[in-house]
Formats: sequence, C-alpha cells, structure tokens
Amino acid sequence: MAKEVEEEFEPLIVAFCCNWCSYAGADLAGTSRFEYPSNIRIIRVMCTGRIDPTLVLEALRMGADGVLVAGCHPGDCHYQKGNYIMEKRFSYLMKAVDSIGIEPGRVRLEWVSASEGGKFAALVREMTQQMKQLGPSPFRLVITRNR
Amino acid sequence: MDMSKRESLVRKTNAAIEAFKSQRLRWVTGRSQVKVEIDEKRYRQVVDSIMQEEIERHMIIGAIKERGPLTVEELSQLTALQPAKIVRHIIALRKNGVLSEAGEKNRQYLYQLI
Repeated sequence: MAKEVEEEFEPLIVAFCCNWCSYAGADLAGTSRFEYPSNIRIIRVMCTGRIDPTLVLEALRMGADGVLVAGCHPGDCHYQKGNYIMEKRFSYLMKAVDSIGIEPGRVRLEWVSASEGGKFAALVREMTQQMKQLGPSPFRLVITRNR
Repeated sequence: MDMSKRESLVRKTNAAIEAFKSQRLRWVTGRSQVKVEIDEKRYRQVVDSIMQEEIERHMIIGAIKERGPLTVEELSQLTALQPAKIVRHIIALRKNGVLSEAGEKNRQYLYQLI
C-alpha cells in the first residue's frame, strides 16, 4: 500500500531588490557561490523609493508567504533619499498590515549593499526558516478554493 | 484560521490596497518631506487615522460593489464595523460623490455606488 508522504511546506518569498545595492548583492551571492534557498523570487526595481505599498499588499494577496524589501544602506542611496522614503512608507505599510491582521513577520525591510552577498544569502535562509515557522499564507487557501 | 476569517482578511487587504491608491492617503504618505506646523508624533497620528478611515471606507465600497445596494445594518454585518462608524463614513462618501441613496429596505436607506 502506498504510504502517503507529507510534503514539507515550501514558502514563496517575493523580494523587491533595488538595482544598485541589493540586486547587486544578490548577484554577488550567486557569483560567490553562497548557497541560499530557492524559495525567493526577486523583482528588480530601480530604487526602494519606487515601491508602492500596494505592490507589497498585492504580492501578499496573490499568495506570497513573505515579502522582502531590500535596499541600500541609509545614506548610500543612488538617488540620495529613496531608501529614506521607503523607510517612512514602510512604517505606514506595517501599520496597515497590522490592522488588516496579517502577521507582521511576513513583511521585512532590510538594507543589503552590493558587497554583502553573504548577508543576502543569510537573510534569505533566515527568512525562509521564519516563513516555515509561520506556515502558509492565509491567502493561499482562498486563492486555491476560488480557482 | 477558518475560511470566513480568511475571506475577511482578503476583503480587508483589498480595502487596504484601494486605500493606498486613494488620493487622500497618497497625499500624506507619499511625501518625503512634510512641511506642516505640527510635530512628527502628531503627524503620525493624523496619518494613522486617515489610513484607518480609508481602509474602512474601502471596505464599505467593496461590500457594495460585491453585493449591490446595502443598508447600514447589512454593511455593519459584512464589515464588522459599528453602525455609527458606518454612518459617519457614508456621510463622507456621499459628500465626496461616491455613494447615493437607492431606495429603502426595512425602513432603512439603501446605499449604492454612483
């Protein structure tokens, strides 16, 4: 008799990485052959300052288990103050996330520079682990049911 | 989390997305520098209350979009908001030309989207 094997939950993380720092950091992680889980899907944006809160909420609504926003360290923004704009906007977004009832741990803002490939890989590993602990996104079941 | 809670989560998220698209919230959150005569703490309070109001208003709009004309009581059941709060939002939404009356049901006004 075939024994049912329970599949381990593999989270899906959407990462918005800025072109100048975090995307280059992710690239460096690859070229340096740092291993990190394949649960992440990277979306390159020119600056974190152009990430609208609706993009993050939309990603969550469409079934992402976690969303990572990664940008340049404060003071290093290619466009001077894009990351400061995002930092401020992020605090508003987190307030909304909290009031909706989504676990705040599903959304993260991190600073990763172009030389921090190791940090990026460690961050993805840590976030994947965190998402596994949180479990599947509550939106997933609604999406699969409505399909 | 049961299915009804999940569905309410989806409704709230839809409302939050619409709220962040709204002009009113974009005015206060989209700026990098704010030149106003109030301190940062007070400004945060204002933004937070605007955000909460916008999310609630878009929950009302979303419910009417989904089900057609509704009364305050029905809206209260669907959105889990207090009827008094709904009335306040309806007054604002009517003033902004978003909602209008669409007849009566059980001696209560029905509201529809314009």
